[in-house]
Amino acid sequence: MDRLECQWCHAQNPPEARSCEHCGAPLDRAALVSDSGWREAPRLRDMAKFQFSNSTCQVEGELVPVAEINLSPGDGVIFEHHTMLWKDESVPVGVYPLGGGLKRSLGGMPYVVTQAGGPGRIAFSRDAAGEIVTLLLHPTMEIDVREHAFLAASHSVRYSFERIKGLANILHGGSGMYLDRFVTAGEPGIVLLHGYGNVFERTLAPGEKILLEPGGYLYKDSSVTMQAVQLNVRTGVFRHGMYLAEMTGPGRVGIQSMYHHHASE
Amino acid sequence: MSNAPVTPAPPATGYICRFCRLPSDAGGLSCPNCGAPVDVRAAVSDSGWVEQPAIKDMAKIQFGQSVCQIEGTLVPSADFALAAGEGVVFSHHTLLWTAPGTHLEPWAKGSFFNRMYAGMPVVLMRASGPGHVALSEDHPGEVVALPIPAGRGFLVREHAFLAASDSVDYTWQNSPVWLQVQKGNESEFEYPVGPYLDVFVAGGGSPGLLLLHCPGNLFVRDLQRGQAILVQPGSWVYADTSVTFGLHAEYPASGGVRWGSYDYRTVWMRLQGPGRVAVRSIFEKPERYAGLVGSSGMSLRRW
Repeated sequence: MDRLECQWCHAQNPPEARSCEHCGAPLDRAALVSDSGWREAPRLRDMAKFQFSNSTCQVEGELVPVAEINLSPGDGVIFEHHTMLWKDESVPVGVYPLGGGLKRSLGGMPYVVTQAGGPGRIAFSRDAAGEIVTLLLHPTMEIDVREHAFLAASHSVRYSFERIKGLANILHGGSGMYLDRFVTAGEPGIVLLHGYGNVFERTLAPGEKILLEPGGYLYKDSSVTMQAVQLNVRTGVFRHGMYLAEMTGPGRVGIQSMYHHHASE
Repeated sequence: MSNAPVTPAPPATGYICRFCRLPSDAGGLSCPNCGAPVDVRAAVSDSGWVEQPAIKDMAKIQFGQSVCQIEGTLVPSADFALAAGEGVVFSHHTLLWTAPGTHLEPWAKGSFFNRMYAGMPVVLMRASGPGHVALSEDHPGEVVALPIPAGRGFLVREHAFLAASDSVDYTWQNSPVWLQVQKGNESEFEYPVGPYLDVFVAGGGSPGLLLLHCPGNLFVRDLQRGQAILVQPGSWVYADTSVTFGLHAEYPASGGVRWGSYDYRTVWMRLQGPGRVAVRSIFEKPERYAGLVGSSGMSLRRW
C-alpha cells in the first residue's frame, strides 16, 4: 500500500499511522484551509508521539499542551529555561554557546539559552492557552520566529537571533528588537513553537503581500520580508495612524489568533 | 425598536435554528445565519441554561452578500469576505490581518470623551468590500454570532463586541446598575457591568449580524415575564432589550458576628424577563464594595 504523506510537514508515513511520525499531525483529518487561503496548523492529538533523530516527543494536553521529550544518548534539545516544566534528575543541562547576552537582556529576551542532553526525559510548556506547532527543518532551511514563542528545538538546529532592521520596525513592528532564527546545516531538525490561540499558515508567492497585526506574527521563512507600515487610519483622538506588519513573499507566514502581549514577555 | 423578546419566525423550511431562532437550512452542517452546528442536540442543564455550541471550525455565516468564516477553536478568528458595498465595524485592536486592497477607515460614533472615560475604544474602524479582513480577540473562548432581525436589538456588556455588519446601528446607554461607595472622605460611583452598555439595533429595515467574543463558554436562557435570576455581574454577556436589570445584595448567615460586612457580602445582578439572557463561564473577580452610600436600586437580604 502507498505510504501516507503528512499534509503539514510532507513527510512519508506508514499506511497504518494515525499521526505523522515526524511532526505529530493527525493523518486521518483533512487539512483545514479557509477560503482566504490560511491553512490551520493541525491540532496535535493528546498523547501523539513523533520522532526526531533517535529521540521521541509526546504532546500531552490540549488547552496548554506540554511537549515531553525522551532524549536518547547523544541527542539534545535547546530551549529557554523558563519553559522547562519538569525533567529527570539525571538529565544534564548547560548553557547553549551563544554570544550577545547583554543584547538579549536589553531586548527583553532570556540572558542565556539552555540545552539538555540525553538519555532522559524533559518536558516544556508555555503559560497560556494555545497549541504546539512542529516545524521540520531540512538542511539549508531558515525560519524566523517572534520572541517568546520558541518552546524547544532539536540539537541539530542552530539557533541565533537577528536584530530587526529599522527603527520603525522595532518600535512599531510588535515583534520586539530581535527575531529568533533557526537554521539546519547537516541533518534535519525540528523546532517546536507555542502559538497563543490558534495558528494559521499561508504561503506567499513572490511579491505577494499580506498585512498582519504585528502581535499576530508567529513565524516566517527567512525569505519573507517584514516591514512595519503605517496606515492612514487614526485609532484615537491624539494617536498616530496604526501600524501593521507587511509581509512580502516568497515563503510561509504563520500567525497566532491570540496576539495579546503576555505578561511573560 | 420593539421591546418584545425575539420570537421565532414561522418555519419556512421546516427547521428553525434553536440558537439564532431564524429559519435555517437543515441540509448543511451549520446554520448559515449564526454558524451553530445543525447536527448537535441542545445541551440543556437541569436548571434550564442552554449551552451555546461552539461554531465549527471553518463554518461560514452569510450576511448580505458577504461571508464570515470562523477559523480555529481555541481563540477563533472571524475572517470576512466582504462584498462590494458592504462592510463591518470593529475595534481596531481586534484586527488580525487584512488583504492589502481592503479599504479601512475610522468610524467615529458619539462622544469620544464619554468613551475614553469608560475605557472603551474611542474610534472604531470600518472595513469595506470588496476584500478580506480577519478579527480575533485575546482570550480563549467562543465567537458568538447573533443575527439581528430588522428592528430588533441586543444589549451587550462592554468589550464583548467583536464586529457588526454596517447595517447594525451601534450606540450605547448608561448602565442601569451602579453603586455609590465611600472611599475615605469622598464617595465614588462603581459600575458592576461597566459605565455603559453597548446597544446594537438592526435599523433601516435591514437585518444585521453581530459577532461577540465570549471568554470561556456561553450559556443562554429565556426568562418569562417577571421571572428573575441572579447572576454575577461580571458574567453577564448580552440580553434582549426587553430584559430589565437590578442589583441585589446578600449577606450569608454569620452567627451574629459582623466583621467588615462587605467582606462577605455578595452583590448580584438581577436579570428580569421577559427575554433572552446570556452569561459566560469566565468572569471578572467581583469588586469588594466597601461603605455603600447609594445605588441605582438594590434589594437586600440577610440570611
